[in-house]
Amino acid sequence: MRRKSKWLAILLVLGLVLAACGDGEGGETTTTAAGEEETTTTAAPSEETTTTATGAEIATDVGVDLEAGTITVGLLSDLSGPFAPLVTVINTGHDIYWQSVNADGGVNGLQVELEVRDTAYVVDTHVQLYEELKSQVVAFGHSTGSPQTVAINPSLQADGILAIPLTWYSGWSDPAINANLVPHGVPYCIESMNMIEYLTLQAPDATTIAIASSPGDYGEDSNAGAVLAAEALGLEVVYDGTGRINAADEATLAEVASGIAGSGAELVWVTTSPTPFGSIYGQALATGFEALWSGAGPTWNPALVGPDSPIKDALARDFYISQYYAPWAAESEGNAMVRDLVAEFAPDAPPLDYYAEGVIEASILHQALLAAYEAGDMTQAGVLAAAKSLESVTFNGLAPDETYVGEPNDRVQRAQFISRPDPAGLAGGASTGATLIESNYTSPIAEAFEFTEACFKLG
Amino acid sequence: MRGRPLLYTSYEADQALLNTTTKRVMLGLFFLVLISIPFQVVPGLKFLGQEDWLRLLTTAAIFVIGALGLNILTGLAGQVSLGHSFFMAIGAYVAVWLGGPEGGPLIGLGLPIWIWLPAAGIIAALVGVAVGPTAVRVRGLYLAIVTLGLVFIGEYIWRNWDSLTGGAQVGRDFPPLQVRLWKEEPPLLDFTTPSTWFGVEFSGAAKAFFLMTVFAAVSALLAKNLQRTRVGRAFMSIRDRDIAAEIMGVNEFAYKLLAFGISSFYAGIAGALLASFVTRVIPERWDLFLSVQFIAIIFIGGAGTVTGTFLGTAFVILLPRIVQNFTLWLQAVATEGEGILAAIADVFVATTPNDFGLVNTFAGVGPGLSVAQLNLVLYGLLIIGFLIFEPFGLYGIWLRIRNYWKGWPFTY
Repeated sequence: MRRKSKWLAILLVLGLVLAACGDGEGGETTTTAAGEEETTTTAAPSEETTTTATGAEIATDVGVDLEAGTITVGLLSDLSGPFAPLVTVINTGHDIYWQSVNADGGVNGLQVELEVRDTAYVVDTHVQLYEELKSQVVAFGHSTGSPQTVAINPSLQADGILAIPLTWYSGWSDPAINANLVPHGVPYCIESMNMIEYLTLQAPDATTIAIASSPGDYGEDSNAGAVLAAEALGLEVVYDGTGRINAADEATLAEVASGIAGSGAELVWVTTSPTPFGSIYGQALATGFEALWSGAGPTWNPALVGPDSPIKDALARDFYISQYYAPWAAESEGNAMVRDLVAEFAPDAPPLDYYAEGVIEASILHQALLAAYEAGDMTQAGVLAAAKSLESVTFNGLAPDETYVGEPNDRVQRAQFISRPDPAGLAGGASTGATLIESNYTSPIAEAFEFTEACFKLG
Repeated sequence: MRGRPLLYTSYEADQALLNTTTKRVMLGLFFLVLISIPFQVVPGLKFLGQEDWLRLLTTAAIFVIGALGLNILTGLAGQVSLGHSFFMAIGAYVAVWLGGPEGGPLIGLGLPIWIWLPAAGIIAALVGVAVGPTAVRVRGLYLAIVTLGLVFIGEYIWRNWDSLTGGAQVGRDFPPLQVRLWKEEPPLLDFTTPSTWFGVEFSGAAKAFFLMTVFAAVSALLAKNLQRTRVGRAFMSIRDRDIAAEIMGVNEFAYKLLAFGISSFYAGIAGALLASFVTRVIPERWDLFLSVQFIAIIFIGGAGTVTGTFLGTAFVILLPRIVQNFTLWLQAVATEGEGILAAIADVFVATTPNDFGLVNTFAGVGPGLSVAQLNLVLYGLLIIGFLIFEPFGLYGIWLRIRNYWKGWPFTY
């Protein structure tokens, strides 16, 4: 029995290690709305009305304490799952933004506090933590991941709470499911239209394209746009690896790489996470394959052109970086603000592009809170209504302006940023590995695209 | 013979489920407390009635069902299985096959819960019996590896069978906890939305909690009874010395298969209930870590005991929340407080992006484990610790406390 126990202990520890390492699959994901409309009606939390110093009457329920002078905002973050490296930086963006707001007197005198929870990118945990925070926060500064956000969406609607999705699934602009969500940035499918048309401008003679992606809404949504763009541009899809990339399975990476290289495509559109992308690109390159490459935003990571990367020079030649916001070193007023915030509130933090995402999310929420205060209703429902009535949220060049009123086709974001890899700048500390070449870029195909519902739907 | 503990004059009395008054009283109290939780009346436990804690307890009740199954296979019959999450997945996908919406883009027949829930258990059991023959050929470490293989085969199938599972990283919605006679609207009983029962207002969370508690109690009763039958004793004899068991006339092959079947039945039910309760599940949910959680429940609670399964489940499911609240409290101490406690807390938690700390409560760019990672580390340490120092788990600790007080003050 003792011997058995020892072996068991070793085995179980191995099992834990395996379990901890196994979850390497990248790529955010999702689906459409919950199959059926739920008509849950929860008892409304007790609402109070307080008269502020200025004489205005402000209604509050959860997450806003006028006496203590605080506003509590929730963040459902993936801090230990596949997106932890990105989301930790994004949370720093939130932190420094609110620190600066608080230092300047807060939101009309109210100090903003963050309640951060680690969902580990697990749907059940996400739902569980949502239930925990919904009685503490006035709104969610972000909800990481598409299946996770879809899972809490019926509850968000029943509880009347606002959330900012931290994923760029086109469904977030679909009126069928976005009643409680305010998205930002160009959705995956419109992004691929932008980028593929941009690639054809760089290679006007190209007639063939290869596309490949991770499974899930991320890859499927992106490739839906890619196929539309290819058709409109008269490009022949010579390799279609939609959903074929499994980050945890090297064999699929080799298969996709040889598929792309063997197709002889002149343009390549890949939608995955940085590690599998690096592997696929490297393997295709090793066969002597040469083409113009690009990929959806989350495919890129500056480490791909780090000083030790064997593919950095080839990427600098072949790759176009698609971005939802301007990179760190860009010249806009918004970028300067991010750099100042990091210098002031997180002086030892390294320069990275992703603080911008946190700052953007926080800015949207900030505008919504101000509007809700203005309207005298800082309840959860009041903040939601305020966010949904924002006609223009500007980020001073950090990201394209957003609007949340009007028809889906009028408010869906189509503009984005395009950069080139900059290994020399990264090595020298002048940039974060990306040099901005296009700001607020919208391609004619994306402009003409009629958006009424999610590009990729699932029942 | 009243008042003489441990003196039994009949076999029935000796084998009774609750053979002492203390056990009867404690079980009664336990149920009273459980029932009262949603009403928030017991001082000190009122917080358990909040919706998020109710959800956590409901999840624990579902895990109890799954863990009871693994306990029969691993605790009673001595067959270590890492494939429990595979059988849970089978249960969940049978449930959605039968109970999922009809006529949608994904497979579903729209049948009511009284069909899909038992079917989830039965089909999982059949699959368990079907893969059993390969598994009963091997023992111990090798069996663990065989069952480990099932998890990976399953994950591959679930990721790629889009029309059933919704596809990798997408998943689908599972049939809600609603009781219908057939396909009528509205449902007869709805465990997802609030309503008034017997003049009392119940939230959806409270209703789901009651439902799962009943399921868990029935499962526990069945498991406990199984232990006291010929089958249960045959399982234990195989666990303790399989060759000796065969010499005594226990058909090792048949009983091992039976153990696999029963265990998979429990797993299938638990999988279906879990998916239905969470509502949306992605194929990646049924991974190795889920199996490891069940193994942890068995060994932390105490292998082979029903009480231990309850203790282990409560521990494993509530631990992450307790660790989370503890670190948040430490964070508050470290940022606001002064003195020795704050200094100690500051070493433990990193509160700002550049602060040093074992645990990173504010997740920024900086060192430190996140709360979920800390939990993984704790699971590992606890499994090692229990296997080496307390093989009977929490139940063993309880036994020692009980025996100490039984003989008190003449402990030796």
